[in-house]
Amino acid sequence: MEELNRGGFTFDLCSRNTLLEKTGLKMPGFLKTGTTIVGVVYKDGVVLGADTRATEGPIVADKNCEKIHYIADNIYCCGAGTAADTEMTTALISSKLKLHKLSTGKEPRVVTALTMLKQMLFKYQGHVSAALILGGIDINGPSLHTIYPHGSTDQLPYVTMGSGSLAAMAVFEAKYKTDMTRDEAIQLVAEAISSGVFNDLGSGSNVDVTVIAKEGVTVLRNYLTPNERKFRGPEYIFPIGTTPVLSKLVAPLSSKVIIEDVVMS
Amino acid sequence: MSIMAYNGGACIVMTGKNCVAIASDLRFGIQQQTISNNFPKVYRINDKCFVGISGLVTDAQTLYQKIVFRHNLYKLREERDMSPSVVTNLIANMLYEKRFGPYFTEPLICGLEGPDNKPFISGMDLIGAMVATNDFLVVGTMTPAMYGVCETLYKPNMEKDELFETISQCMLSSLERDALSGWGAVVHIITPEEVVTKKLLGRQD
Amino acid sequence: MDSDYSFSLTTFSPSGKLVQIEHALQAAASGGSAIGIKAKNGVVLVTEKKLHSLVDVSSVQKIAMITENIGLVYAGMGPDSRVLIKKARKESEKYYKQYHEKIPVLQLVRELASIMQEYTQSGGVRPFGVSLLVSGYDEKGPHLYQVDPSGSYFAWKATAIGKNMVNSKTFLEKRYSDDLEIEDAIQTALNTLKEGFETQMTETNMELAIIGKNQKFEILSPSQIKDYLLNL
Repeated sequence: MEELNRGGFTFDLCSRNTLLEKTGLKMPGFLKTGTTIVGVVYKDGVVLGADTRATEGPIVADKNCEKIHYIADNIYCCGAGTAADTEMTTALISSKLKLHKLSTGKEPRVVTALTMLKQMLFKYQGHVSAALILGGIDINGPSLHTIYPHGSTDQLPYVTMGSGSLAAMAVFEAKYKTDMTRDEAIQLVAEAISSGVFNDLGSGSNVDVTVIAKEGVTVLRNYLTPNERKFRGPEYIFPIGTTPVLSKLVAPLSSKVIIEDVVMS
Repeated sequence: MSIMAYNGGACIVMTGKNCVAIASDLRFGIQQQTISNNFPKVYRINDKCFVGISGLVTDAQTLYQKIVFRHNLYKLREERDMSPSVVTNLIANMLYEKRFGPYFTEPLICGLEGPDNKPFISGMDLIGAMVATNDFLVVGTMTPAMYGVCETLYKPNMEKDELFETISQCMLSSLERDALSGWGAVVHIITPEEVVTKKLLGRQD
Repeated sequence: MDSDYSFSLTTFSPSGKLVQIEHALQAAASGGSAIGIKAKNGVVLVTEKKLHSLVDVSSVQKIAMITENIGLVYAGMGPDSRVLIKKARKESEKYYKQYHEKIPVLQLVRELASIMQEYTQSGGVRPFGVSLLVSGYDEKGPHLYQVDPSGSYFAWKATAIGKNMVNSKTFLEKRYSDDLEIEDAIQTALNTLKEGFETQMTETNMELAIIGKNQKFEILSPSQIKDYLLNL
């Protein structure tokens, strides 16, 4: 009987999988975010930005995925690396932080989330491959951190990560200035992400922006959509009956099936 | 050869207007040798939720049994069916638990969500990284071909008959150029009233 | 005699009772009273908070939030309740992480009840000396449940636990009607609680929490309670 909800990873298929690998079968790759993610501290808050492309090898698996993850009402986190790792790691820390908030009765701090994340990533020695940008606002004001897959962190006024980080950093280095206004910061972040979208093959599609200020959070999902599909059509229409069908079975919903008792003779 | 292509197989899900469709091929092979030509990869979870699982068949079957097990327990406990989004999150968590020794499967989930039967499709990679779109998703041995035809033939808000023709043509066209999948296909159209299952005539080579 | 069998938690007395559980129930029944009323569009919880006059009242919380849509109040032993609150919060988070859906109130109540039952049958432990009132709002509407140390649970329209529970329930029986709105339910709950008060009821010696369809579980501040008391 398998135990449910025990939590943590299981390794029972590892030996079988290594055996399969030895027979010459290639192991598949995981879904990657590719990614350009950035963050900037401005006068009274933090702006986070991300592209929306997910890739599996050379194939675009998701044209409009979400890479800015919710951690708490005052903290958000951009994720790059293996998609499942960034998704699950941020969800786990968000959950832990919610419990922490309930037991302390206080707004969570950015450094608390940071410490939880780095301790988890360090524990897995880089095998959980999540590269994160953590931004938020708490009693100490706005703050912005990067977390590397092995668990090292740093704190800077403007940061970039992912395969498009160089393209985005080029924009930051050229145009960043201290004490920007909210609009300036959004503009700069959008420009940095666009630079990743157009110059890095791992990044693409749209620009997502999230602004975290003292007054609250503004999620600007698909802030820019520079790559909308322009050409579709003339439409291909297949007349009903085009496809040769061998058999057809219509199953009504089980809620609509009437069961009657038949008296046995 | 990738382990994901060991048994062959392909699967597509697509949304329409108040309906969703899921299609899979019928081949089950071991590398280049075909074992069966009547092996659907689509499984019914409940009236309003179907999953298609591509990849290594032994893992697909194990995963399916585990999903059914969890779904049955949920039904007994909560006296209701799992919605497609709940099924998606459940499978994603089951797969991520095996992050360092994964099942070699890529599932697609489709169904109708909530009381107003909103079309829902989702998919994930072999360790549970979810992909959520509102048009179509593909998995299997010939994804580049499938993405190509789907991008060309799909349009939003198709009625159920039109959706059937579109998903069928997408499936059959990509199977023309896929050596590891084929031998006909099966399509399920899920509407709030009924589930229509059709078997398609495809090339047998 | 039954009391001869109170040495062990898991030994039935000849009359078929587990006396330790009855003692636990007694511990819960002698705790500060708590009242819950389910209205058409929400649930209200109130409780008395009887403390020594030198204790800082703001440091004591008898009503606890479990999730955004579920909260509970206890009667009985405070330390025991904290264990259950912690487990309830963790269970709700586990459910959310697994399914990305809020835990239905009944599922959480069952989970709590099964934990409490486990502590009536395990070795080296004692039953929880608390009764709980769990309130919540989910897809199926408002809910009010009572969970006892034995692990049994009941769904109520309105009920009371702790001291005065018998009198309070009689009082509620007379005052309850099915078409109660949340604001009426607050008034009824406060009136019921007031009946059992030996001293003057003020905003500091009681707690009040509400949950509604479009309202997250909220423990009211003393100033908000004061407004309600003025209108009583």
